[in-house]
Amino acid sequence: MPDTLLQVEGLTLDYQTRGGVMRAVDDVSFDVGRGEALVVLGESGCGKSSLARALMRLLPRNAGGLGGRVSLDGRELHLLDDETFRREVQWQGLALVMQASMNALNPVVKVGEQVAEPLRVHLGWERRRALARAGEVFELVGLPGDFLRRYPFELSGGMRQRAVLAMALVAEPALVILDEPTSALDVLTQAGIMNALKRVKAELGTGFILITHDVATSSELADRVALMYAGQLVEVADAATFFTAPGHPYAQALMASVPRLRQRERPRAIPGEPPSLLDPPQGCRFAARCPQRFADCARLPPAFAPAPRQKVRCWLHKEEGMKGGMEGSV
Amino acid sequence: MMPRRSWGRDLRYLALYLLKRALALLVTVLIGVYLTIVVANMGGQVDDLRRVQIRSEAFEQVRADPAFQEMASAERNALVERRVALEVERLRLDEPFILRSVDYLQRAMRLDLGRAEQMHSDAGSRQVRAIIVERLPATLLLFGTANLLVFFSAVGSALWLSRRYGSGVDRLVIALAPSSAAPGWFYGIFLILAFAFLVPLLPPGGMVTAPPPDSRLEYAASLARHMLLPVAAMFLSSIFVSIYAWRTFFLIHASEDYVEMARAKGLPSRLIERRYILRPTLSPIITNFLLMLIGLWSGAIILEQVFNWPGLGSLLFQAIGFRDTPVIIGGVVIFAYLLAVTVLLLDLLYALLDPRVRILGEGRSGT
Repeated sequence: MPDTLLQVEGLTLDYQTRGGVMRAVDDVSFDVGRGEALVVLGESGCGKSSLARALMRLLPRNAGGLGGRVSLDGRELHLLDDETFRREVQWQGLALVMQASMNALNPVVKVGEQVAEPLRVHLGWERRRALARAGEVFELVGLPGDFLRRYPFELSGGMRQRAVLAMALVAEPALVILDEPTSALDVLTQAGIMNALKRVKAELGTGFILITHDVATSSELADRVALMYAGQLVEVADAATFFTAPGHPYAQALMASVPRLRQRERPRAIPGEPPSLLDPPQGCRFAARCPQRFADCARLPPAFAPAPRQKVRCWLHKEEGMKGGMEGSV
Repeated sequence: MMPRRSWGRDLRYLALYLLKRALALLVTVLIGVYLTIVVANMGGQVDDLRRVQIRSEAFEQVRADPAFQEMASAERNALVERRVALEVERLRLDEPFILRSVDYLQRAMRLDLGRAEQMHSDAGSRQVRAIIVERLPATLLLFGTANLLVFFSAVGSALWLSRRYGSGVDRLVIALAPSSAAPGWFYGIFLILAFAFLVPLLPPGGMVTAPPPDSRLEYAASLARHMLLPVAAMFLSSIFVSIYAWRTFFLIHASEDYVEMARAKGLPSRLIERRYILRPTLSPIITNFLLMLIGLWSGAIILEQVFNWPGLGSLLFQAIGFRDTPVIIGGVVIFAYLLAVTVLLLDLLYALLDPRVRILGEGRSGT
């Protein structure tokens, strides 16, 4: 990869629960290049939202340990204290579009003020200038500029989503994390948002981490795909490679479960369900559901087998050279 | 694209909205006051009691008067009957209650509270208004001080506590919250025992020393000394549960998506608290505050008795004991009006504070 923007190494996040400590994000490593879109794909509960929260340091009350190394543009974020992180990284370095952005806007403050707020707080811009800039970003995401003066309840769901997207882009962050940005919207609105994202990516060169469970939507934006299962990444690959020749048995099963137009085969569901993160299995976490499992799978945890375009955490790919371990980007 | 809302239209809409609300509230007050009139008169049965009372009073007067000692008993009875009839006519007890109740209602709604039947003010007036006005400052002072103190310290510490969810202090407050199961007067008794008798630092009751000091400063000092124990009693009995309630309120609102979003944006926590937690929840906070303020009006019967405080609570209690209907009705009428005015004020404030109330009435503008 020519120019690495974000580098994540061994990121872990624990939650304290009644049943004990739960490792929602387990030793996750990946890179995002400048202007690149990485899709983090996974089913509900696999830890993909926790990954977003861990990167943003937006931890819920029961969060326990946060570990690992994160560097953005060469700056070691894990070494920063909370106050510095808040002032210097949040929104200028990293911005987030949250899941459920329908309610992500303060109901009693005009949309424009909220969108312009990061500029005023972090960059000290005066109100007029910040609002003018917010208006420009509105046009970019496909909202009329005079919507700045509206209250959130005067916007439809799709418009609110666009406003939240504008809010994320307003301070021109290096990387925007999108957590299920379209999951609450109808298909047409989804398509509109995805088009807006593509336009933003082309015009601003912003890096994206798109977190989703939706294989079809993700394929529109993705440069690369990271597949997450039970708190761990199981495959990181080029988008083209991933969608045409998925390596991990879970990735293969996932692709087979997506309905396609003009396809004779019926989509196949994956039998079983993911393991509990309170007591994860010793070996491969997908072993119990895997159609290609063999004796070693349940006993020993596989490591990433690095390959040029695709690295896969699976014993089937061991031969391709498993010495590489965690490091090395695709 | 929609045209900007003009201020003129906003104002016209607001005025219409307030007029509608005011009319609805007036009807509410009317019903409330009428019900009170019927209940306080026991649906007209108090009239029978009153008639018996008039008769016995008239009989006593005639019997006790030396001028009528020599009268034949038939003649004396006739005199009593004449006097009773006169008094009944004066009080219009010969008319059916239903007619008089409407008449009462009319006068009550015009705040013409009339004369008390048994009670009088300390200054000697029998005007219900004078009796109530005399007691009002004592109640407002005591309960106002205590409730304002509780309200602001509870909201302030709750906001502070909501940032420290699950901490030691947080758990301590939760553990102490059931202390509010006991009413203020219960704590009052112990406080009086401790600070007026065991360690006699403060007066056990009353409002000022007798005779009242002449200089203003000394009067205020004496008043403050007398207020200390009852205020402390009320504070103790409600502070922990108030903090607990507000803390929970703030915790719920601090987990709204837009608060999370504000955190993600890296806004300073002061700004988040002000603009993302307090500002959207201002309507319920103000509602609570204003309802607390008008709640002061009713005073507290037992607490006032325990501390021998000359307030409205003990006045209404006495009025009920004497079956002094004009005083009871007078108290309720004023309370009903205060409540209605407060609710109207709240409607206005909601409209000013919350764009959803203000604008939705105009019909949702097209998108």
